Amino acid sequence: MVRHPDPPVKTRWWPAFPSELRSTPLTTYVGLALGVAFGVCFVTGLLSHLIQHPPAWFWWPARPVGLYRVTQGVHVATGLATVPLLGVKLWSVYPRLFTWPPLRSIGHAAERASVGVLVAAALFQVISGVLNISRWYAPMPFFFTTGHYWVAWLAVGALLVHIGVQLPAIRGALARRTAPRPDGLTRRGLLTGVAAAAGLITLTTVGQTVRPLSGIALLAPRRPAVGPQGLPVNKTADAAAVRSAALDPAYRMVVSGPGRQISLGLAALQALPQHTAQLPIACVEGWSATATWTGVRLRDLVALVGADPERATVTVESLQEAGRYRASTVPPEHVRDPLTLVALRLDGEPLHVDHGYPARLIAPNRPGVLQTKWIGRITVRGPR
Amino acid sequence: MRIRAALIAAGILTMLYAVVGGLADPGLERVGVLIFLVAVLAAHDAVWMPAVLAAGALLTRLVPRRHRPAVRVAAIVAASVTVVALPLVLGFGRSADNPSALPSAYGRNLVFVLLVIAAATLPAIGRGKIRRKKSERPHEGGDDPADR
Repeated sequence: MVRHPDPPVKTRWWPAFPSELRSTPLTTYVGLALGVAFGVCFVTGLLSHLIQHPPAWFWWPARPVGLYRVTQGVHVATGLATVPLLGVKLWSVYPRLFTWPPLRSIGHAAERASVGVLVAAALFQVISGVLNISRWYAPMPFFFTTGHYWVAWLAVGALLVHIGVQLPAIRGALARRTAPRPDGLTRRGLLTGVAAAAGLITLTTVGQTVRPLSGIALLAPRRPAVGPQGLPVNKTADAAAVRSAALDPAYRMVVSGPGRQISLGLAALQALPQHTAQLPIACVEGWSATATWTGVRLRDLVALVGADPERATVTVESLQEAGRYRASTVPPEHVRDPLTLVALRLDGEPLHVDHGYPARLIAPNRPGVLQTKWIGRITVRGPR
Repeated sequence: MRIRAALIAAGILTMLYAVVGGLADPGLERVGVLIFLVAVLAAHDAVWMPAVLAAGALLTRLVPRRHRPAVRVAAIVAASVTVVALPLVLGFGRSADNPSALPSAYGRNLVFVLLVIAAATLPAIGRGKIRRKKSERPHEGGDDPADR
């Protein structure tokens, strides 16, 4: 069936919204793409949350080595690509904000309220995400990670309600054909523009994690080869207030197990068997970079204090006195992996202090915030 | 109907989980989150969208009818890229002790990307001219409604 575009929504005091481009099919197509993008962001974001705060039932493997760099890279890249989708989606339904009468019934009021929650939560997620990767925290009066996590549930809930309410309109829009307009911007033209915008944003930012594209990462917050020793840094030694403790010649790493406790200086750590691994640092902010790390296998240290390296769980603590990420737990899957190192060297040189000198954790398939730097203490526990 | 009811019920339960879970999480600054939710909604609906509509209306006045589709697409792409790049260009996230964060010259890079968008738009405008010469449609510069 061929139909002409929907008539403009009736509003009372707003002058007019004359664009004939606004239509249910346009809103549907953009909305479907946006729904898929939000789904991808929700799943990858939830995964990242579970890896960092694992409940008892959760399990995350040590291999493939770069899985987290992919899931989190996809999370941030997809989130950035939603900017034009969300913009055009909201433009296409903006006249409905001025629907008259504003409330027809209790059901209508509830539906409008849920749409309000959806729009607020969607804007919250996209804007807070963009601010976070730009490290601009001042406009956000809350701790980003926690806010972004709970509002994600709010957004997904409101999205499910919205799809449920709009399902007949979605089905109708997908089933029918509207008459093409001979002049002016067509729906296809607009959708092409939205896709081009999303594509351009991706091309100019994704090089922060996809190394071959780093040369055109003009608008990426990170360049994978820029930083001390050619590797980006998230938290510096000064920001962690750990510089003097890390550079202290009297440095000792305490390793304590169920049976015994040892204290190792840097020379003692260097005297243990050294192993080299190529592993990525994969930041929650969506950048990643591979480097060559050399150091002591974590499982060797576990065995040194008399614990079973196949089954032990390890807590790694930084020399940092305070800070949200001063300690991390290494589950058995990662402890037993021979690639999990207490690294002393990066690309053959001693670690830069901003990369965790004298010793840092580097494990496969793990978020960067859990790769604890400036290790002061390692506590080995038995099987969970 | 059953699918719709299931979607709506699941959505309401998920939103309830967000509210209850968020309130129970001592790490969540609820007032701050609420302020930001309201602020981004108000800023979008009362500031950003009127500005977009005004820009669209201006574009209709300034750009000849036959060039409008290409210019409109270019404007959408440029606005999207600028939204993503603006926090980087402003550079409040830079810190003296960490030169690896925000390492690029984002202002210059954004200008370059905008010029690339403009350059990619020119051929489309050229094609519009040729098409117009061939068909010689009579109405010129009329009010194109496809913008606001």
